[in-house]
Amino acid sequence: MLEMFQSPQFWVDVFKIIMIDLLLSGDNAVVIALACRNLPEAQRKKGIMYGVGGAIGLRIVLTFFAVSLLAMPYLKLVGALLLLWIGIKLILPEEEHGEGNIKAETHLWGAIKTIIIADFVMSLDNVIGVAAAAKGNVGLLVFGLLVSIPLIAWSSQLVLKLIDRYPFIIYAGGALLGYVAGEMLVTEVALKPVMDAYHYLHWLAPAACALFVLAMGWWLAQRMARKIPAVHLVDVDAKHDKS
Amino acid sequence: MKVLIPVDGSAAANRAVEHVIASVAWLKEVPQIHLLNVQWKLASGNVKLFINQDTINDYYREQGMAALVDARTKLDAAGLVYSYHVAIGTPAEAIVQAAQEQQVDQIVVSAHGQGTLSNMLLGSVASKVAHLATIPVLLVK
Repeated sequence: MLEMFQSPQFWVDVFKIIMIDLLLSGDNAVVIALACRNLPEAQRKKGIMYGVGGAIGLRIVLTFFAVSLLAMPYLKLVGALLLLWIGIKLILPEEEHGEGNIKAETHLWGAIKTIIIADFVMSLDNVIGVAAAAKGNVGLLVFGLLVSIPLIAWSSQLVLKLIDRYPFIIYAGGALLGYVAGEMLVTEVALKPVMDAYHYLHWLAPAACALFVLAMGWWLAQRMARKIPAVHLVDVDAKHDKS
Repeated sequence: MKVLIPVDGSAAANRAVEHVIASVAWLKEVPQIHLLNVQWKLASGNVKLFINQDTINDYYREQGMAALVDARTKLDAAGLVYSYHVAIGTPAEAIVQAAQEQQVDQIVVSAHGQGTLSNMLLGSVASKVAHLATIPVLLVK
């Protein structure tokens, strides 16, 4: 276990996992905070705590599933393609969804249910990314999760602010997801004969996938580039009757 | 004259408000003051699938009004008339947009807002506003 912490490869992989977690988990953190808003004051902290705990637990279970699924032939191929798409989507500007007709939860268990369901739905991209980056190393996986989830829960604005200041982060994230997709591709059992025959594919495939995500993301983003205007929520005009 | 004062609730940001209050004494006419707080758009498309819009807006409103409290208290104490706004978006862009919409003559912004560390790492909103704005920006030190 201790040797693990001393190898540089470990820290490179940890960095990858934390980066993927940070870029792909922001929404989950916001849901956790907002789902508990309508709870009575006394239950709010409890709701957040159970929510974060449940979300981490669920994430670990899902990632384990993903890791064991990925051992099957052809599934790494599917996973790699999904990751390429996730990487491109990260670079593209956010689509606006219409508002659903959702009831605000006012009970502790209702709020926790919302958090867990949201986590289940919204962590798929994250789970695939982390499973690919961890390459089956469980210690790595749990370590990455334990570092990044509290970081997000603590400051959901952190990532937004960083991206606003350094927009290239989003491209770096897309390239990273592409790279990880390429790494997954070269370990696909079904492609083993090809990979063994052309050994240079082991570095070429990840690099090509990273470039592909960057190019596609950049091209599509140019096409849909538009500014989302700020919305005014409160507008109270000057009180002129004041003397 | 119309001025826009963006605030984030920090004491540093409120120095812009203090400056405007102090400047009333030597200005020919009392300026029309617009206070603005911008909340980061935390809830993106996916969040709306699970949390209803009212809850999201309540959160923004609560945070925004809390950020405006100190500035409003100062202006009330000085007996000045003002309007106040809470916008949701990216701070610098939203500030410049509000300045255009309200057709203000000047943006009075504090050079430093929340947090010294994040200022060092992230640069201040003020410098971005100065860069984006097409009207005069007064940086209050």
